[in-house]
Amino acid sequence: MGNTIQGLPNANLGLGASIQSTGAGDSSDFFETLRGAMSQVEQLHVDAQGKVAGMLNGTGDDVHSAMIAVEKADLAFEMMVQVRNKIVQAYQTVSQMQF
Amino acid sequence: MNLFGMFQISGSALRAERERAELAASNLANAETTRTVEGGPYRRQDIVFASRPSLPSGFAITLASFTDLHAQGVQVAGVVQDNAPPARRFDPGHPDADATGYVDFPNINPVEESVNLMEAARSYQFNVSAVQATKAMIQSAIGIAQS
Repeated sequence: MGNTIQGLPNANLGLGASIQSTGAGDSSDFFETLRGAMSQVEQLHVDAQGKVAGMLNGTGDDVHSAMIAVEKADLAFEMMVQVRNKIVQAYQTVSQMQF
Repeated sequence: MNLFGMFQISGSALRAERERAELAASNLANAETTRTVEGGPYRRQDIVFASRPSLPSGFAITLASFTDLHAQGVQVAGVVQDNAPPARRFDPGHPDADATGYVDFPNINPVEESVNLMEAARSYQFNVSAVQATKAMIQSAIGIAQS
């Protein structure tokens, strides 16, 4: 019993330290990754836009390559939305914790 | 390779099949052509396909040889001319007739070209199905996150 009570403050201290480190350094790994993924998704959308414009202008882009680019962008966006949903869900779970 | 690599492979096949259909259409369109830039009647053209790694650069190919990436796209290796002798038809009124009244027409069989065209169109459909299958695979993978 005494052991567990002594162990608890230690664990608490560790958690507090890790939260502080993510809060202080604004560019934590996770958010950097997320930002990178989002810019990649955006890049796919730019690619798709360029391909569709190229196809419509008749500058040599094939119909299928335009459609594939659009599909890629669509799937990447869908993926991003799912990741976002998961993050929001996790946030809500934590914010609704009862103390 | 990620799943988008499948898009690249199918895309290369779609492009190749489109070029094949273009050649078949060109052969059909020029079945009666007696004048070309090179002189003489139009010559039937055929397409040659070659497989290639879907990753374009030399470094990527080397890298792929160290990993287990065996999937390959397709590319058009070249266009070959059919050197079959032209079909000679007697038509003295034709402006391109020679002294004996015969005209050199391209040796093109429209039925054969139609079959080529149908084949190209079917292959195109198969590859479109592959793209749709890829899309379905990715969507079901994304569906893992949905509960």
